[in-house]
Amino acid sequence: MQRIFKTLAVATAFVAVTGTAYAEYPDKPVKVIVGYSAGGGTDVMARTVAPFLEKYLGDGVSIVVKNVPGASGQIGVTEVANSDKDGYTLGTYNLPGMMARTLDRKADYDASSFTYLANVVNDPNVIVTSKKSGLDTMEKLLAEAKANPLAITVGMSSLGGDDHFLLNKLQTMTGTEFTIVPFRGSAPARTALMGGHVAMGILNISEVSAFKDEINVLGVALEERSEFAPDVPTFKEQGVDLVNGSMRGFVAPAGLPDDVKTKLIAAFDKLKDDAEFKAAMSATANPVQVVTGDAFEALNADLLDLAKKVWKESPWR
Amino acid sequence: MYSDLIQSLPDVLAWANLAALVIGVLAGIIVGAMPGLSATMAISVLVPFTFGLEPLVALGLMAGIYNGAMYGGAIPAVLLRIPGTPAAVATTFDGYPMAQRGEGGFALQVAVVSSAFGGVASAFALMLLAPPLSRVTLLFGPAEVFWVAVFGLCSIIFLLGGNVAKGLISACFGVFVSVVGSDPIFGNDRYTFDRLELLDGIHIVILLVGLYALPPVIDLLESPLKTENSAGDHLGTEPIWRTFPRMLRFWKTWIRSALIGIWIGILPGAGGSMAAFMSYNEARRASKTPETWGHGEPEGVAASETANNADTAAALIPALTLGIPGTAVAAIMLGGLLIHGLQPGPMLFRNNPDIVFGFMWQFLFGAILLVFLGGSLATNSFAKLLKLPRPLLGSVIIVLMLIGVYSIHGRMFDVYLMLGFGAIGYVMDKLKFPLPPVVLGLILGGFAEENLRLALRIGRGDWIVLFQNVTSLVLVALTVAVVVGPMIKKRIVKARKTEGKV
Amino acid sequence: MHNKSTHRFLRPETVTAVCIIVVAAGFLIPTTELAPLSALLPAAMLVGLILLAIAMMISDQRKASAGEEAKPVVKSPKRVFGAFCLIALYCIAVDLIGFYPSTAISLPLVAYIFGYRDLRGLAIATVIVLVAIYLIFSVSMSQEFPIGLLWAE
Repeated sequence: MQRIFKTLAVATAFVAVTGTAYAEYPDKPVKVIVGYSAGGGTDVMARTVAPFLEKYLGDGVSIVVKNVPGASGQIGVTEVANSDKDGYTLGTYNLPGMMARTLDRKADYDASSFTYLANVVNDPNVIVTSKKSGLDTMEKLLAEAKANPLAITVGMSSLGGDDHFLLNKLQTMTGTEFTIVPFRGSAPARTALMGGHVAMGILNISEVSAFKDEINVLGVALEERSEFAPDVPTFKEQGVDLVNGSMRGFVAPAGLPDDVKTKLIAAFDKLKDDAEFKAAMSATANPVQVVTGDAFEALNADLLDLAKKVWKESPWR
Repeated sequence: MYSDLIQSLPDVLAWANLAALVIGVLAGIIVGAMPGLSATMAISVLVPFTFGLEPLVALGLMAGIYNGAMYGGAIPAVLLRIPGTPAAVATTFDGYPMAQRGEGGFALQVAVVSSAFGGVASAFALMLLAPPLSRVTLLFGPAEVFWVAVFGLCSIIFLLGGNVAKGLISACFGVFVSVVGSDPIFGNDRYTFDRLELLDGIHIVILLVGLYALPPVIDLLESPLKTENSAGDHLGTEPIWRTFPRMLRFWKTWIRSALIGIWIGILPGAGGSMAAFMSYNEARRASKTPETWGHGEPEGVAASETANNADTAAALIPALTLGIPGTAVAAIMLGGLLIHGLQPGPMLFRNNPDIVFGFMWQFLFGAILLVFLGGSLATNSFAKLLKLPRPLLGSVIIVLMLIGVYSIHGRMFDVYLMLGFGAIGYVMDKLKFPLPPVVLGLILGGFAEENLRLALRIGRGDWIVLFQNVTSLVLVALTVAVVVGPMIKKRIVKARKTEGKV
Repeated sequence: MHNKSTHRFLRPETVTAVCIIVVAAGFLIPTTELAPLSALLPAAMLVGLILLAIAMMISDQRKASAGEEAKPVVKSPKRVFGAFCLIALYCIAVDLIGFYPSTAISLPLVAYIFGYRDLRGLAIATVIVLVAIYLIFSVSMSQEFPIGLLWAE
């Protein structure tokens, strides 16, 4: 016990000395607040990114993941928005969910509450149908939807999420109407689809890649085909310009000091070309697409506009 | 597939993995036995910690804790009438009266043997029948699951106790608590009063600790002097090889309860408590002496404990094959699998057979280990703990309650909520409102509502969707039979009696 | 908890029934703002609670008319109330001054107040519990407990 105290004392003294001598970020552990329970998709993403971020931030910094679960991540992200602006508290950030919550619920943050560091994951939407439905191409699906408006039931994970927005885009583009069945989470939606209880589903590609033989995957909402499922065509190839997905990234509270911000964004930038990082992410079913700094902020603004438009045209609650 | 099963065995028996399992089972028994701490909480605390462990070590710990806690929950349920886990509520019905009679030791032995039996049966179901059983899960869409929930809710009728009005008040209260949070379809807030902490609903552990642990603690403090028939004092433990032959007459209950537990396990969302309640009811219905139930019938302990352990491995069948966990604990374990890059789905068995099948073996060995680790050793040491002076025991349990509730989400809000439920629970307990309907109402109320409304959306508002296929109709028929059957039986018996008199 | 009261409207069951009715009616107000399908189940439960509470009250009043004495609910209301307040106080203390300090104080305190007067036993028990919690939760599981709002800023 005493030895521990001694080392601790020495260590603190050391930190204090070096701290005053250099006072350069980072000189103490960086906390990453995850708005979901340990073991959730976002949590696994954060914990997979953490060692790489430690490597690129340098100085032997350690990253500590703290789970603040509840209210679909809103409790955690609110805590991030209100934390100290020193770069020692970061948080995970989900799109379009975090922006949609500012519309459909009272939220203690908005788009200007954050410093946008990097989006790391872009999990594109896919449209899937059950084997029983017989709608095994986009063409058949749209023909059926036009012939019988509202007859096709669509399972998805929730209202006001990326899958809902994709359906909204599809409906406006093609002049069709579907019946939405919002499950709690995508796994129950996928199961209902496999059991044939709903005809169609909107999921994310990471959620269907293990189930390719059990369901029809009609298309992926990306500009180019995904490496997760190279045999699935994009919607663009099929004549419907649909690009949409679920994004996961990192933010810090707004008003970060410039040098800290630059250093953090530079560290995230290095993830772009790290093959080892990409391998670790695809092992945990996270399609990587690193977008940092201003580009991420612009992406956030775009998605907020989309959410606002959908909210205005067809409020979901 | 079965060759993969054999091939994964040596890895499981590697000493580090085996040690993890043993530690897990022991830790699980302790966690389950501590009033206030639950398996859900223990595994959610463990998950981030397993990030740096070898997959089989991490999974062994989790499998061990899950199995151990499901039995451990029976210890305070029998000795203190405080169920250690939500699934042990039904164990209190007969376990506590047995303990009051001085047969607490036998009750715990029945519990450990039954738990092990349920766990082994469940592990075999997982190892040998996972793919075909997951097909069964697919048959259950929202409409069918709604009927399962209704079936479960109907079993509340048998838990009402003497006063029907009070029993129904308890049930309504439980169901009402289940609707707090975001609406299952639209996601708008119901009774959250702008508290984000309430948005995901009220966690069962918070309610359970408040209702079941706080009132007995206050009782412990209220009457500080040792009362003569304090349950923990006299366990009357005999060696297990001598008591075991007395348990063999439960074999029918063991098999029936194991099947019920496995069935409830493969249906997502219901969980161990519903399995335990249902199997208790079924066992009582089948019993030749239903009047002894609730007054210390060892078969009641056997029914409930078999079923709640039979639920464990079975709950992983839909979790591993479809990604939908059967219980709250399985949901957290799914996270633990994800951390190690194990994606649920049909590919899982092909891509990572060593780990998946190793995990299944761990469930089997965990269940067997229960008898050795949870037998006389654990029971006797816990009985000693319960001989602590009552005020001291009470104040230690208060600390454990706080830790257990705080650690679920890491927030004090839940602790205050638990205090509120504790106050309600104390009044209910003193005025003889039955508590089990509250627990069942909370578990099944929201579950039934969500699935009903999903089904209605699928049917575009047409209620006929609820009666459109064979599975639904079978479930409706079962429900009716369970509710109406006993009434008719009573009538017939009554009629015969009057005839006999005339 | 008016266990000695003889007045028929102060019988414990009647008082409880009135409380249930008032609280359930109170919850009906926010229910009116919900969408019809959202409100269906909660409204049904609240109305059910009110009706059942009325039924309970009537049967209790009948008993009162029959001259049946209401059983005392608790043996010593002061102790019960005190115990509950102490538990609540402990939770608030954890929030304000942190988990370890408040546990170190309240664990022996509660046991002492409620009749366990062996000081050595108290000290040993407190140390064992605290060290065990520290080793299991803080060291091996790196769990964080509240450090206390007072020191946080």
